[in-house]
Amino acid sequence: MMFGFLINPSKFNKFADIILTPLIFTSSIILITGLILVYLSPLDYQQGLTVKIMYIHVPSAWLALLTYSIMTIYSIIGIAFKMPFSFIVNKAVAPIGAIFTLLCLISGSLWGKPMWGTWWVWDARLTSVAILFLIYLIIIFIDKTFENKEVREKTTAIFILIGSVNLPIIKFSVDWWNTLHQPASISKLSSPSIDISMLQPLLVMTIAFCLIGLIIAILRIKAEILIRKNR
Amino acid sequence: MIFIKKIFLFFKRESKLFFRNVVDIFSNILFFFLSIFIFVFALGADEQLLKSIGLGIIWSLLLLSSTLSLRKFYEEDFNSGVLVIIHMRGISYELLVFLKILSHFLFVQMPFLISIPVASLLFNLPTSEVYNLMFTFIIGSLILSCLSSMSASMNLLNKANFSIGGIVVMLFSIPVIIFSVGINEVGSDYKSLINILFGLALIFLGISPWVSAAFIKLALRNK
Repeated sequence: MMFGFLINPSKFNKFADIILTPLIFTSSIILITGLILVYLSPLDYQQGLTVKIMYIHVPSAWLALLTYSIMTIYSIIGIAFKMPFSFIVNKAVAPIGAIFTLLCLISGSLWGKPMWGTWWVWDARLTSVAILFLIYLIIIFIDKTFENKEVREKTTAIFILIGSVNLPIIKFSVDWWNTLHQPASISKLSSPSIDISMLQPLLVMTIAFCLIGLIIAILRIKAEILIRKNR
Repeated sequence: MIFIKKIFLFFKRESKLFFRNVVDIFSNILFFFLSIFIFVFALGADEQLLKSIGLGIIWSLLLLSSTLSLRKFYEEDFNSGVLVIIHMRGISYELLVFLKILSHFLFVQMPFLISIPVASLLFNLPTSEVYNLMFTFIIGSLILSCLSSMSASMNLLNKANFSIGGIVVMLFSIPVIIFSVGINEVGSDYKSLINILFGLALIFLGISPWVSAAFIKLALRNK
């Protein structure tokens, strides 16, 4: 099976050993390229220098959502097929998602202070992302709460499934409600409403963020597998 | 016929328990009133201010005081083995959870209904808002019962972290609060929000028996 490394711990370990070193090299190259592109990218005629916060803000927001969707998929797999690897992934990936959400919130409020005039607005998009952060925290806390392994894993998985109702709310909050937060500039169906000179560094930064998240996730999953083997 | 009799007996037992522990439920209501007083002392007795924010305060305090009795939802029955006994009498865990939710709704949430008019008197709320508040509370408390059932069954084996159950209830009650308090702001077009509330209640009534039963089975297996 080609994608066996996605559900099998030992295959995952082998795959991770192969991929890790090249991954670190490519990700550092892409990150440096991205940072140079961000440095060279044009200033916005209204926002000035603060537009560059976007190159951190948008990738981390995307990754926060992506991490939660991955956790949701793994929870479904874990509950339906009783695969222990998915619970390992859930446990390993949750703090990463929490950090990305926090990064998104902090960078957003750093941008909001000069642009909107406040650190925080009770706007639909902002609030739903903050709730996503709380959900991540609760997932981590649930994982620390229970002593019994089976109870802990299943409880976390079911909670992740219930909490995933927040994902579409975050995605469509800018369309459903009148928000201060701007709607998505980049979508699959239409041509992006963002200029190509800003789109390039954004996409490169997104890839770099993805790879960095992936490296941390691989390391954490490997550590988790080791812990479980030793127990 | 035997099935209906079983359900009847279940409710008879619950009502007996209710009348035995009636002090406990009334102390929840006392908590509700005391927290209203604390709110008023903290904000000052400005009549206009209290009138404008009274509804939100009442709703959030109702939510907080209904999370007080959260640990009682399944824990006594679970520890004394009553859950297993009822299950052995031929009631599945899902149905048991459903009945428990209904009895929690009747015996724990409904006593708050008496206290709502008094509380809204304290805030000088207009009559229409009081009607809306009571109506939304009847639907919203059903949702709260479902949520309490989920988090209480989640915490059956949790001996360390007592506050996480309340946190889970509060997290998922955010939509309830939004739509319940929102009814007063939309004016005459409130039916859409009530429909949304009903929809939420039905969704949670559908989900929570399965979720809670899964948690209960998990807890019984690992007891």
